Amino acid sequence: MDQDRQYCLGCMRTIEEIIAWSKADDDYKRAVWAKLPERRASQPADAA
Amino acid sequence: MTELPDSIKVFQRGWLSSNNVLLVGPDDTALIDTGYVSHAEQTLALVRHALGERPLDRILNSHLHSDHCGGNAILQAHYACHTAIPVAEADKVRRWDVEALSFKATGQRCDRFRFDSTLTCGEVLQLGGMEWQVLGAPGHDPSSVIFYCPQQRLLLSADALWENGFGVIFPELDGESGFAEAAATLDLIASLDVRLVVPGHGRPFTDVAGALARARTRLEYLSADPARNAQNALKVLLKFLLLERQRIALAEIPTLLLSMPVFEAANRNHLRQTPQELSEWVVSQLLRAGAARSEGEYLLNHEM
Repeated sequence: MDQDRQYCLGCMRTIEEIIAWSKADDDYKRAVWAKLPERRASQPADAA
Repeated sequence: MTELPDSIKVFQRGWLSSNNVLLVGPDDTALIDTGYVSHAEQTLALVRHALGERPLDRILNSHLHSDHCGGNAILQAHYACHTAIPVAEADKVRRWDVEALSFKATGQRCDRFRFDSTLTCGEVLQLGGMEWQVLGAPGHDPSSVIFYCPQQRLLLSADALWENGFGVIFPELDGESGFAEAAATLDLIASLDVRLVVPGHGRPFTDVAGALARARTRLEYLSADPARNAQNALKVLLKFLLLERQRIALAEIPTLLLSMPVFEAANRNHLRQTPQELSEWVVSQLLRAGAARSEGEYLLNHEM
């Protein structure tokens, strides 16, 4: 998780999103995917 | 989209951590496989979030590779949960025999954990309010088990069957038999009535016949020349270390390979090259596949 314990640093998903993932429909997954680049960009460069 | 009852929750992780399956029944809760040690806090957070006030009663491990049991210790510390492991691993875990357990051999880490009971092939368990069969699934690992729920026609296939392939056939690296066992495990899976497979890695899938056909083709390819399995293992092991560390100095890789007994065995039995040669080969393979990128003196993890 990142320093704020908000996102998984590997996949940039939140705990809620990981739990929902396997039962989620494609629209949900696409909506999460769309947010990932912004989340990754918001992380400090050496955080991974 | 997969149809699972509310009592079965799948945490689809990545490659460093295996998937985890949480079974929540009226009387008990159980988690099958616990991910890698560097993700242990996230695994605990996932379980706590999903269970709320309820405790985790049980852990069961399909096999004791570091990406499947790395969360055992933290979960035991938090929940004091009953833990069941494949029977063939019992003595090694009791003594925490680092030479016999797989972690040191692969350059991977795992916090020490305890166990309370063992899993035997053919055993039937009540987990999360349903009946589950424990089936032997050697090939990737000689002691591995998979879990089948006839009521849901659901198979937790661990690393015996993925949507595209299966885990490295580790016994063959050591010159032991593994291909024949893996083929028999695929035959066993084909004999089950399965509508949904939750693999150890990757998304749950329904096209079981398609996955079995791809796995058999792959197994035939590997067993036709065991050096292919060894080469694949080399790529997988370095990618795993890269996932864990994110960057590795290129100059360090030959030494890193030599530090893994499993590499030494694979090289002695199948590859027969210098560590330097194999290091250059495996780096070029990861770069070509887009699984890594190079930056100056370093090899960096790259998400595919």
